[in-house]
Order: sequence, then structure tokens, then C-alpha cells
Amino acid sequence: MQLPGGASMNPIALYCPQIHENMLRYLLLFFCLAAGFSKLAAQETFPTNDVRDLRAGAYALINAKVVASTASTIENGTLLVREGRIEKIGVNLPVPAGYTTIDLKGKSVYPSFIDLHTNYGLPRAENAGGPGGGGFGGAEQIQSKTKGAYSPNQSIKADYQAVREFTIDAKTAEKWRAAGFGTVLSFRADGIARGTSVAVALADDRDQNLILKDQAAAHLSFNRGTSRQVYPSSLMGFIALLRQTYLDADWYSKQNPKPYRDLSLEGWIASQNLPQIFDANGWVNVLRADKVGDEFGKQYIIRSTGDEYQRLKEIKATGAKLIIPVNFPEAYDVEDPLDAEAVTLTDMKHWEMAPANAAMLEKAGIQFAITSDRLKERTDFLKNIRKAIEYGLSESAALSAITEVPAKMIGVDNRVGTLAAGKDANFLIVSGNLFSDDAVIYENWVQGKRYSIKDMDVPDYAGNYNLQLNGKSYGMEISGKPGAQKVKIKVTDSLSVDAKSKIEDNLITMSFNPSKKQPETIRLSGWRTTNGWNGKGQLSNGNWIEWTASAAGSSDKKDEKAREGKKSKPEIGDVIYPFIAFGTKELPKSEEMLIRNATVWTNEKDGILQNTDVLVRDGKIAGVGKNLTSTGKIVDGTGKHVTAGIIDEHSHIALAAINDATTNSSMVREDDVVNSEDNNIYQQLAGGVVAAQLLHGSANPIGGQSALIKLKWGAGPEELKIKGADKFIKFALGENVKRSSNAQSMRFPQTRMGVEQVYADAFTNALEYEKKWKAFQALPEKVRATTAPPRRDLVDETMLEIIRGKRFITCHSYVQSEINMMMRVAERFGVRINSFTHIMEGYKVADKMRAHGVAAGTFSDWWNYKWEVHYAIPYNAAIMHREGVLTAINSDDANMGRRLNQEAAKAVKYGGISEEDAIKMVTLNPAKILHLDQQMGSIKTGKSADIVLWNGHPLSVYSRAEKTLIEGAVYYDLETDMKRREELRTERARLIRKMTEAKKGGAPMQRPASSQQIDFDCDGELAALEGN
Amino acid sequence: MRIDMKNIIVIFLLVLFVGFQSAAQVPVPAKAQNRPVLVVGGTVHTATGAVIENGAVAFADGKITYVGAASGAPADLKTMEVVNAAGKHVYPGFILPNSRVGLVEIESIRATVDFDEQGDYNPNVRSLISYNTDSEHIPAYRYSGILLAEAAPVGGVVAGTSSVMQMDGWNWEDAVHTKDVAIHLNWPGMQKVRFDFETFSRISENNPDYGKNVEEVSAFFNDAIGYSKLSAKEVNLKFETMQGLFSGAQTLVIHAGKAKEVVDAVLFAESKGVKRMTVACGDEAISIAGFLKEHNIGVIVPSIHSLPVRDDEDIDLQYSMAAILSKAGIKVAFSHTGSLGTGRNLPFYAGTSVAHGMDKTEALKALTIYPAQMLGIDKVAGTLEVGKDATLFISAGDALDFRGNQLTDAFIGGKRIVLDNKHQELYRRYSEKYGHGK
Repeated sequence: MQLPGGASMNPIALYCPQIHENMLRYLLLFFCLAAGFSKLAAQETFPTNDVRDLRAGAYALINAKVVASTASTIENGTLLVREGRIEKIGVNLPVPAGYTTIDLKGKSVYPSFIDLHTNYGLPRAENAGGPGGGGFGGAEQIQSKTKGAYSPNQSIKADYQAVREFTIDAKTAEKWRAAGFGTVLSFRADGIARGTSVAVALADDRDQNLILKDQAAAHLSFNRGTSRQVYPSSLMGFIALLRQTYLDADWYSKQNPKPYRDLSLEGWIASQNLPQIFDANGWVNVLRADKVGDEFGKQYIIRSTGDEYQRLKEIKATGAKLIIPVNFPEAYDVEDPLDAEAVTLTDMKHWEMAPANAAMLEKAGIQFAITSDRLKERTDFLKNIRKAIEYGLSESAALSAITEVPAKMIGVDNRVGTLAAGKDANFLIVSGNLFSDDAVIYENWVQGKRYSIKDMDVPDYAGNYNLQLNGKSYGMEISGKPGAQKVKIKVTDSLSVDAKSKIEDNLITMSFNPSKKQPETIRLSGWRTTNGWNGKGQLSNGNWIEWTASAAGSSDKKDEKAREGKKSKPEIGDVIYPFIAFGTKELPKSEEMLIRNATVWTNEKDGILQNTDVLVRDGKIAGVGKNLTSTGKIVDGTGKHVTAGIIDEHSHIALAAINDATTNSSMVREDDVVNSEDNNIYQQLAGGVVAAQLLHGSANPIGGQSALIKLKWGAGPEELKIKGADKFIKFALGENVKRSSNAQSMRFPQTRMGVEQVYADAFTNALEYEKKWKAFQALPEKVRATTAPPRRDLVDETMLEIIRGKRFITCHSYVQSEINMMMRVAERFGVRINSFTHIMEGYKVADKMRAHGVAAGTFSDWWNYKWEVHYAIPYNAAIMHREGVLTAINSDDANMGRRLNQEAAKAVKYGGISEEDAIKMVTLNPAKILHLDQQMGSIKTGKSADIVLWNGHPLSVYSRAEKTLIEGAVYYDLETDMKRREELRTERARLIRKMTEAKKGGAPMQRPASSQQIDFDCDGELAALEGN
Repeated sequence: MRIDMKNIIVIFLLVLFVGFQSAAQVPVPAKAQNRPVLVVGGTVHTATGAVIENGAVAFADGKITYVGAASGAPADLKTMEVVNAAGKHVYPGFILPNSRVGLVEIESIRATVDFDEQGDYNPNVRSLISYNTDSEHIPAYRYSGILLAEAAPVGGVVAGTSSVMQMDGWNWEDAVHTKDVAIHLNWPGMQKVRFDFETFSRISENNPDYGKNVEEVSAFFNDAIGYSKLSAKEVNLKFETMQGLFSGAQTLVIHAGKAKEVVDAVLFAESKGVKRMTVACGDEAISIAGFLKEHNIGVIVPSIHSLPVRDDEDIDLQYSMAAILSKAGIKVAFSHTGSLGTGRNLPFYAGTSVAHGMDKTEALKALTIYPAQMLGIDKVAGTLEVGKDATLFISAGDALDFRGNQLTDAFIGGKRIVLDNKHQELYRRYSEKYGHGK
């Protein structure tokens, strides 16, 4: 239904300030008549059950301090309101006849607040919580359950329009208004693409009058919401689905006629020019969302969760405007030292720093709006914003973040967000400065409707009184802003009690207990006199009394300014990178270093060199030999060993997601979900690891694309990645891809026969895809210009990369039959498998592997935890190695990844290979497998200085890494680690002291709870097994 | 193809055990010792604190008859089988406490899982009944020096009764070393863990039912104690089996995660009159080391090749916890938790602990005599001492290091056991197929 007076029809001219005021009035009248602008007009279409009762709603608010916007404050201002709009604002304007005058002397008027993250007036999206379920345990849901011509993916709900479901929720609106809000943006939090939102007024009115803007914004997220469809089931999948949807929309929009109808895609296409608001939890997801936007030319507004201060530089670089919450965590109750151990440094530091987030964003020049979302109580909104101000946020930025900025973000600044003639009469009447601690919001006007929050006509009764009752005399103090005043009774000089009180225009009700020990509550009811109060009362024994309270001078009100002056900006600790224990303020830099007189495992034809020096300069190995000299740092390597840094060819650390669950997940990328805030990075550095291939899990025959990283502890996600590295993808065979652990699974394939067909199918499709594109590209240019191009498909494109030798396969494998199959299928399509990982029965087909030219990355001694490793033997590496297969030993396990040198030692224990070859299995060989051996994997002049100094023989259980260097920078140092432990203890102690103080100060507390990072994706419930 | 010393050793072994036929069967159990054996010339680690260079160990009828310098060894060479251990190391067999060995074959296949009985209070279920002497894990364990293991049940509150098993035998009756040594108690948790999707992390929160849970355990113990004193009663199988705890015949193994839970559980058990107890607990024991020492409680530590439990703990705390506890005067026993397949790395847990500050002798004791004491078998096992079981092995080098752990001989109760197993057999088979080593 198209309503008269819809927001989109409002004449722009109305809001041009340069138009003469009289002119404006005429114009206003004109448009009211012409376009049916006024709400009065809107009423006309409704049936009446009475005589006509139209009211002008004409008010003059005088003598107010009008904070019209952050740029404009008018002292002694007059604000004229009529028919829901601001008619005029100015200094001491004449009040036209017939206007109800409200004197706001001493009070201020502010624009009422705007919240962009709400589902006000919409049905709750059910079960929009975590991404669990779907594909892991139980039968997989392959198809969408949405009925109708909608997207085949249930989490694409771009067709949804909040405006069609919106209806007023008067009770909730009242709560919103009480917290100072006048406008909210309402959307349904369900799906990756959530459709459009509606901007509505929080007035008590007919729905038709409340809509400020339909299709106000389009909403996206990394949460599939109610969908339990098997794809996407991971963060990587969410990103891949978004990317594919952009491509599909582009293709679909060029089809004429449409080959089929997809209403979700049509909704998506229709909403592309709206502001795009992306829900992202945590700063890492802000970066991820922004990256998706960058690829498709979109700058999202990103709703984040208040930890952006942890990576300001990266957040700033996104250029995104943010919507941030002010839900500061409560302090942990750390009274019990043992219990307190559970609380992580991250949580403690976040408790301390969260209130400073907004201030830090402001300082960094990042624009943001503030939402009340995530607050336990919406009434905490202003309180927490004041706290943010205390922590350095400017009042102007604070006001802007709750009025102007959100209004502009969704393009409703022509109506709300600031106060100006022609705009909606959405404003607050406040006791004074909105951000002072005792500020009282008296009224919240929405669309010219007046809503009282606290009675502002109550006289100011603040002062001291002499309370006489029952023959006794008490001191009595009334304090606070009128309308919200409180009573305190001074029983003796040393004992004061708060009275329960309610002060109205003329009446007072109060009760108090003068005795701390006994229940002797005295209940009083009174009325105003010329000099205080008189009244009746009842004692706890039931006796009735008379009482008086006569004025005894003004209360010794602490000067507001003096109080504010006392509040100095709280001191807070430093941001560390990453924002977890052992993070550092500054990242290590490449330095010149000479390691003298060590045993050097070169991995080159020189073999193991005794009493040899290694020189590191400019991030490279600058020399290997005897008697080298350097002006840099000298390290005595006597009795110590230097090896190339360990490379883990199969790792799942530093990732936010491991498995997506659809049979062919080649479109998902671990690159998208690298997580720099993972303490496994540091732990593995301590085990001499410098680089790793971060692999997709093994839930599907064709998994996702790998990320190759160096373990640069402290660097952001992008900086971890190895630039220019070749591209890899995970394939998987066997029990996991058959979903053997899930008896209800029905996802294809369920057998090794089916697995083969998955590959044959995927490669065949890719070749067909290539044909289609080649045919298109072969069209004469003129024809091509007018022909819709074929649909781009991220799955086919990845498979084609593999066929064309631009992407390399790491294939999870166990038993000989499937290993054979994989090689044969690949050969059919001209593909060489780059490496088999796990490859526990590689020893049975090592000759075939050599013939195919595939490398192996295996466990040293894992076996017999599932059927397909029943024949795994610890001699596997040795046999494959002897047979001429390039062999590495890898971890697939964050724990074992810290001891890969020792895993290599087991190839000596069990297979009797040489110690030199064993070390190569965790350094040079994985470098070769990952095509990194030009820069890494051996101690050779010119190679990257990614090396480890061991305090003993690197294959001995008794040895430890003393230093781990990446590109010449010391990322791990045993001595520094000891210092960091001490720093960690000191920092924890400081925070615990601070929390203890906070508890004494009466701050709300939460019980100690530990939030523990997990080392795998929960979506793979069997993640420990999924990987291996 | 290059062949180094290790290859030669392996090939030597392969030749030695030509009778080893089929990968589908575990090796043939050993015959009883029928002739005295003299191991001579090696470095003898007695696990009493002594390390005897050029030492000797003699044993007959399954019992040790001599431990000392080679020079003083009995010289009756005609009747004895002499094993030359020159350049090698002799150790008492390692003892693995709190293990599932023999009780499960393949963890992911439910049909092979036999360690977790239905119900919360099962003192009456006995692990040795499930113990499968044909488990393929057993020969793999002994290949790295584990010769005795406590097969222990899990699950519920009182999981059941464990037995110490020999890593060799025809059937469980034949393989049992000491039956029904301990009862395993899973102490209630003070914390509950839930998964938080928002932050994608595990959140531990207070368990509001902790008090109630403890009361329930207490009632069970009280009833067991009362049962023994009742004059007229019907037989209760559960309570019958609990009595060993109060007589001192059995160990109570308390499984608890948090320091405060351990304290609570130990004080509880003491108040119930439990005579011998040990706790299976991780690094949390460190913060209550004083308490544990005062109460003379040993600690069975879980696999120390583990990730830090808390985000803020020292990154090597799991590696160093045994060292820290040991330095605080607490007896530690290493154990293996997690997949059985990697349990053969037990000796290297001790090695890692040494790398992180543990005294080497203490580390060896934590593999031998301390678990023996905890399980009440220290009179017959855990050290190389005259009169004790001849359960020992010879390793080419330091058995706590990957570089030295290479067993050449092993004896359980004097029986020479076969070290070769399926893994070596398959190694040989495929090495031959490819012509390696020729």
C-alpha cells in the first residue's frame, strides 16, 4: 500500500534554510495540500467513529538552550513546533498566537537519539544464534527449505523487506523513548543477506505515520541465521557465498529474458544502491567484511562489537564507518586468587579498555555511530556514553554518534538527527548538559508528540531541611535535578540514610528507617508549605504522627564543575599485538646478527657443518662459514645448533574456520579467515616453526583453498600471509569425507566409489565451464559487447586453476586404494597431485607415488584411532623417503606442531634414516612441497633468514629452540619469553588490583569465567579428527 | 641405498625373529623363564637413584637375583643365558598408570570400546575383564619400554576398579600382574563449560550444583562405610568392592581438574578413611603443591605433550609441570591421555620434562617406582632390586630420548618377550618389496 505522506515524497525545498521563513510557511502549506504531506491529511483516509478532531500540535518552547546540532547551539532559543515538525528555531522568537508555550529556562533541547541496530516492531528471527548444526550430526540439509521462487540458498534472504512486517510495539517504544531515542532502524537479523530495513519513528501512532524511510539500508552478516542448509556452514563459506551472490546478481541482471526467477536475487539487485550495513563480530570480522566489499566496489557500514581499538590501524585502513556498541564488560570478581586465574589477560584488558574504544576511534579519525544494542539495560546507554566521555571521547563526537552520524548513514538526515526548521520534531528536553552525570531527560518529543519521562514542572526543592517528627529532630537533604530529586535523612552526625521518596508538584512521599538495626520504618506523606513541608506520618508501631520539615538553607551542593574537574581521564594499559597473553607493544624488526661457532645443518650439499658461523642481515642469510665478522649482534653458538626454520605443511592454527561442509568447497578460502590472535602462533615459534600451510579440514572430497603464512607473532592477518606464494587447495579422501562418524549422513559421497566421481565430475564441469567462456571470448567484439557473458562460478574457476597448473593439491589420504584412485583421476585430467598429506599407507604404494611425482607429508607415529589408520606404521616416512618420494613430516595438530623436530627424530628411531634427512623432513622438504624452497628451507646465503638456534641437538628430546627468526627478526627468544612471563604477571596483577578497587567502589561484578580459545572450528565437532 | 647403524640394528632384529609370521596376529606370548639370565656390561638404571656404569642384572624364576657392578656379578656362565649389554642401558620396565590399553582397540569404532560402563557408581566393574591381550597396541607399547600398565575404566562418578596388567600374555588371567589395585573416582567439577558462538570460544562458568554433587558422592561413601558395619544385610556388590579403600588394599585415584577440587576431594577422602590415594590432575596441582606434599599425595600427570590449558599460562607449563611438582617434593607419575596410538611416547614425556628442569633420576622414577607406589605394587615392581620382578629392558641408548630409545631385549617377570610386531613386519615386507637395503 502506498501511503500519502510517505517519506520519500517530502519536498526537499522544505529543508533549504535559505528560503525565507514566511515563504517557507506558504510552501509548507502548499505542500501539505499538494502532496498530502501532513499527518493531519493522512488521518483523512481512516474511518472516524466520532466527529473530526484534528489538532495543530502547536508549541513554543522558549528560553531553552537548543543544541540543534554539534555545530550549532542557540542560547535563549525558541523552538516552534507544529503538526509534528519543527517550524522554526531562533533566538527569542516571537511566539505566535495559539501556541502552547513551554518555558525551558535553564534547560536544554537536544535532537533525540537514533539507533541503527534494532529489530523494533519486527517479529524476532527465531534461532538466529550460532552457526551450529547442519551437516555435522544428523542428516544434512542439502536444499533450501524456503518455499517459493527464492534463492536456492536459504541464508540469502535479500528479498526480505522489513517495512512489510513492521508494526508498532507501543510498550517497547516507551522504553526506547525513556532512554532518549526518537528513531530506530529496524531489520531482521536472519541470514547472510538479510534484506532491507526500515527507519521508523518511536512515536505512539498509526504504523502509516511512523515510517521515515522504507528500504533504508540493506543488511549483510557472517551468520546464516535460521538456515541449517549444509552450505555454507563456516565463516569461509559465508564469505564465498557472498562473493558468488555478487557475481550471480551481476549475471542475472544482464539476462534478458531471465532464464528463471529468483526473487532473493532480485531483492539483492534492487537494494544495491542502498547503504549496506554489515554485521561483524570483532575487529577481525570488520576487516573480513571490508575485504569482501572492496572486491565488489562496496563500502559497507560495519556494525562491530567494540574491540576495534585492538587494531586501529587496520580498521582505519578499511575506510568503513562503524556502528559500535557501548556494552562495557563488568569487572571480574577476582577476590579468590585461584578462581581469578581463569580470567584471561584478554578479558581483563578488554574490561579496562573497552570504555576507551570510542575515544580511540575518534582520535584515529574513524567515523562511527553508537548503538544501544548489546546493553543489558537500555537505560545504561547514556550512562555508558558518559563513561566513554570520561575515557576521552569528546562530547561533540558522542552527540554526533547518536544523532547526526546515524541519520546520515541511512539518509534520514533530512528529517532527523539535527534540529532545524522543517525537520521532524524529535528532540529531548534535558536538565542541562546531556552528558553530565546528573542530567535528567524530562521529555522526549517524537514527531511533535510530547512524551514525559520525568516531570519537569516540579519545583526545585533542593536544599537542607529540619525534619521534626515524634519529638525528634533530623537533618534532611533534598538533592538532584528537579523531577529526579532524592531525599537523604541525617539521623545523627555519623549516620545518614537514604529515604525512599517521590516528590511531585506539591506532594511528597517518603519512608526511611532511622535505625540500622531494627525495622522501624517511618512512612511520611506531606505537602508543600511556604517554608518546606508539613504532613502526616505513621510509625512502625502503627501510631500516627504529624511532621514538619522547614527549610534550613541551600544544600552544600557540590559544584558540578568542580566535580567534573575531579574526574581525570582514567589511566589504561597499552594495546598489545596480538591482544592476548604474550602479545607485544611493538613487533620485532629485522636485525643484523652473527651466530658464531655453531653446528649448522645447512640442508645443502655441505651437510652439517661444525664450528660454523651464520650471518643474518637485511632479513636474509648473508653468510655461512668460518670466522665471519659483523658489527651487528653477536650470538655465541658454541654447543648449539642452527637449522632452517621448521615449516609445517599441514596446520590448522591461526584460523577462524576449518571446515565448510558442502561436497565441493573449492570456493572457500582459508585466506579469508586467517586469525592473527591465536596463541598457537607463539607456542609454535617456541618449537622452531616459522611457516605453515593452513589447510581446510577434511569434511569433503574437495575442501577449501589454503593460506600460507609465516608465524609473525603480532602482525595482522594480512601481514601473516606469504606474499607471492603459490596457491594450494585441500582435497580429502576416506572416512571423513564419507562422513563415517555420522550414521545419519546422507550427503554424497558415502563410499570411496562416490569420492572418485566427485573429482571426475568437478574436473569435467570445469572443462565445460572453460569451453563456455572460451566460446564467449571468441565472439567478434561487437557481438560480445551485446551478449550476456556466461555466469561466473567460483567452484569451476578454482577447479580450472588446478587443471591449468595454477593451483596445487594437498590431498588428505590414508589407504592405498584411494591413494591410487586419486593419482589416476588426476592423471585423466592432466593434473599432478602436489602432495598427499597423512598418507598413512603411502608405504604400500610408494613406487606409484614416485612415478606420479607426488610428495608426501605424513605423521611420524599416529595410528589405530580409526579404521583407516589401522595399518599406519611409524616406518612410513622412511620407506617413502627411500623409495624416492619427497617426504615431509607435518602436524595437523597445534600441539604436535610445537615438536616437529622431535617427530622427525622418530623417523630415525623407527626407520633408521639419517639425521640430516630427518631434519630436512620438517624444513627443506616441506619448503619444496609448498614451492617455497627458493627462499626457505636451508641455510644458504641469499635465502630468507628464517632460522632456528637450538640449545642442543635438534633431534634430541632434551633440546629447545632458543631463538626463532623470521626474515631476520627474532620472533621468539627463550630469554625474552621469560621476561614476557614476568610482564604478564605484572600486568595481570595491576588489572587485578584495579578490579579489586572497582569492587570496593561498588561496581557491578561478574564471576570469574574463562573464555578459552579453541584450536579448531567447532562446526567440525570432530575437529580433532576432521583434520587428520 | 645408504645403510647406517640403525638400519643394521633393524635388519638384525628382523633376522632374529624370522619366526614372526603374520601381521594379523600379535606376537606369540613369551614362555616362562626356564633359565637364569645375566645382563651384563651395560649402564644399569635401577630407579632407586643409582646409575651403575658397567653393571649387571641377574634374574632367575622371574625374580631379580643380582643388581650391581659387572665385576661382582654371579659367574655361573654355564647355566645362565648371558646378554651382553655393553654400551647399552638397562632399565626397569616402564609402568603406565591410568591407561585404556587393552580396553579399546580403535577409539572411533564403538564396538571396540570397552572402558566406560553405564551408570554413575560402578566400583564393581573391573577393567581386567575387558582386557584384550590380543590388542595391537600392546606390542607397540612395549616396543618403547612400557612393560606394565594399569588398565583403568572411565566414566560416571566412581568409574570402576582397575588392575595392573603385563604387556604380554595369552589371556587376561595370564596377563594380570596385580588385580583390582585401584578405584577411580571422578570428582565433581566446580565449573561447567559451554560453547559461546558469539566469541567462538569455550566459556567456563561456575557449576551451581557442585555442593549437591559432592553430597551425593559423600552419601555413597558413607553408605559403603556403614555397609561394612551392618550386622544383617543383603549383599551389595558395589559396597563390597569399596571396602579395599578403607582397608588400604586399594588406591583411590581421584580425577579432578581444578586445584580447589583436588583439595576438596583429598580432604573428603581422608575424612572417609581412605588409606591410600593419588590424584590424576594437571598443572593446577602446582598451585596446591604445599597441600599435596603435606598430605603426601602423588600426582598422575596427563600427557604433558599438551597445549597450555589456559591462554595466559607459561607456554611450556605442560612440559615443565612435572619438573615443578617434583621440585616441590611431590611424587609424579607420567601417564598418557588421549588416543592410545601415541601412548608409546610415554618415555619421551619424561625426556621433555628433563629438558624443562626435572631431575633425570626423578623423571625415571616417575616412569617406574612412583606409579608402582601409587598402585601399591612397589614391593614387586618399579625398580631393579634383588627380590623384585625381573621386568626390565635393554635399550641401545638413553631410553628417555628419541635418539636412544631402541630396545634390544625386554623381560616381563623374567620372560623374554618378543619386541617385533606388526609394524616391523610391515616395514620388512615393504622394504623387501622395494628392494630397500639391498
